[in-house]
Amino acid sequence: MKPEGQGSIISRISRALSNYDYLAGVYALLVIIITIIGIVSLPFLAYEDVQVYPKHIDRSSPLDPYDRGGTPFNTTAVHAQYPDNSPYLGYVTAYLTPLSQFMADGSHHLGTTIVSHPGGIIDEILYNTRGLDTVVETSILFVAFTIAAYLFRRKD
Amino acid sequence: MNSLAVPAIGGAELHVIEFGDIVNYFSPYTAMLFAFAVLFTVIAIVSRPERQVDIAFGGDAYYTKDIQPEQLKFQRFMAIACGLATLGAVVSGDVFNFTLFTSMVGITNIGIVAAYKNRHVLNAAFQYGIVAMIATVPLFGGAAIILATTGTLSMWELFGSAIAVPLIAKAFLVLGVMGEGMAPFYVAKAEITRAPGAPYVLIIHVSSLLLFLRVVEIVLSM
Amino acid sequence: MDAVYIAGLGIAFLSVIVAFYAILREQDDLHRILLTDLAEILALVLIALVATDLAEALILPGLVVGISELMAISEVFLVKESLSRPRYSPLSIEVMDSAPAIMSLALVLYGIVLSGFSGGALAGVGAIFYFMCRGHDERFAVIETASGYAWALWIFAFFIFMVLPEYWLFGVMTAGGAILLKVTGKMSLVGTMRGGHNE
Repeated sequence: MKPEGQGSIISRISRALSNYDYLAGVYALLVIIITIIGIVSLPFLAYEDVQVYPKHIDRSSPLDPYDRGGTPFNTTAVHAQYPDNSPYLGYVTAYLTPLSQFMADGSHHLGTTIVSHPGGIIDEILYNTRGLDTVVETSILFVAFTIAAYLFRRKD
Repeated sequence: MNSLAVPAIGGAELHVIEFGDIVNYFSPYTAMLFAFAVLFTVIAIVSRPERQVDIAFGGDAYYTKDIQPEQLKFQRFMAIACGLATLGAVVSGDVFNFTLFTSMVGITNIGIVAAYKNRHVLNAAFQYGIVAMIATVPLFGGAAIILATTGTLSMWELFGSAIAVPLIAKAFLVLGVMGEGMAPFYVAKAEITRAPGAPYVLIIHVSSLLLFLRVVEIVLSM
Repeated sequence: MDAVYIAGLGIAFLSVIVAFYAILREQDDLHRILLTDLAEILALVLIALVATDLAEALILPGLVVGISELMAISEVFLVKESLSRPRYSPLSIEVMDSAPAIMSLALVLYGIVLSGFSGGALAGVGAIFYFMCRGHDERFAVIETASGYAWALWIFAFFIFMVLPEYWLFGVMTAGGAILLKVTGKMSLVGTMRGGHNE
């Protein structure tokens, strides 16, 4: 076996790659290369104007910027991907808990607080139409906590 | 409701599972990947861990490496979670959902190797974890660019010929899966497999292989 | 909209290059963790550029994945470097002796009023503050169990939406309540993890 820094170019590259300390660096380099290609291809990208769940802003509403309209306990028009799959689409969107309804009646700035009572289109997406995303997301958090707690509690 | 574009690379859909906007499906290709994932998850559940034997040179002495019951339980849990995440990823019909399952595979893989106390293995696991973390940038970035430029995340729409997915988004997606599953980075894996405790280590390889096969199908179909 | 998106994407790409170049250059493991956290923000930037309600909903999973991985990998780092946890109180100021009970109570109550994810976060901050100031022996396993049950409840709520959509209100309430418990539990776990003697 030849000592470090010698040999053909291929064996030098493969020797460098076999050191796992360089792993993150190699990956970062790959990402940088691809991103440069991305910058070059920027002029060919275009924003699609027809989006699902578009954002509407109604400045006069007490729920601004999270007012999505709709009457409680009735179907609300939401531009979902497959409305057929969610027969109760918009029900969560229009619903406010009695407490947040009370606050919305009394204040013009309910939407600017961090109040997150059940309801609002974000919850509609998170809970209802794309609920599986949230299931996976919380499972990831659960697994991460299991790892951290296991390593933390291990006695040694 | 809708059907896959013809001719689909993975074959026509066999069974459709609807979760609101996320519509998962089985095609001959994904069903096969699913069957593999089920098989290896079952193996992880039923099998007993391998016990490595070290032989001392120059004598008859040998000793068996023991695995603590707690570590065994933890690793089995991680292996099962990894198997389930793989199952979800291979049949996913939504790009963002696929990326989430992929990152779940990445984090369970970190968990499986993080349970070892061997410093060498931990070092490899750490570097692997760093790559898995930064891989979320191209992974989610790819999905986000797809959403912005096409207006949808559903593979049912994206596989159709009417929608052109930009090359950069596809490249990001593949790069992200490479990072999470470590498919081409066998260096770290070689270190990791020196750790005792197959079949739990085995599921790392299986999951990344299946993920890679799936992302190749997705990218070619888009 | 189009020009804004392309310009934003260009800036995001440039930031990606900067962040990954930093990771490429950095050799120290601890600094790598910090840079990784920095880089993950760019994933959120790319999602946020879409600027629809859906993007807003997708940021949450993106954020959570980043935090989870950071937490797991930090714990691996601690074990790898065999770093010992401080045996003394790292922070000692007078307010930590007098205020915990009332402050935590206020935060937890406000969190319950808010409910949902941010409510859970707020109540969790209250719990963290309490455990930080007072001891937390024996409580770790209990919180862990409660948080696990809350997680199961929360998953159950989603399947109500998917399988029995007509009971959506029940699903919303279950999910809202469970996530409150879950986030509170998880955050107080983080609070207990920062040193002291566990068990």
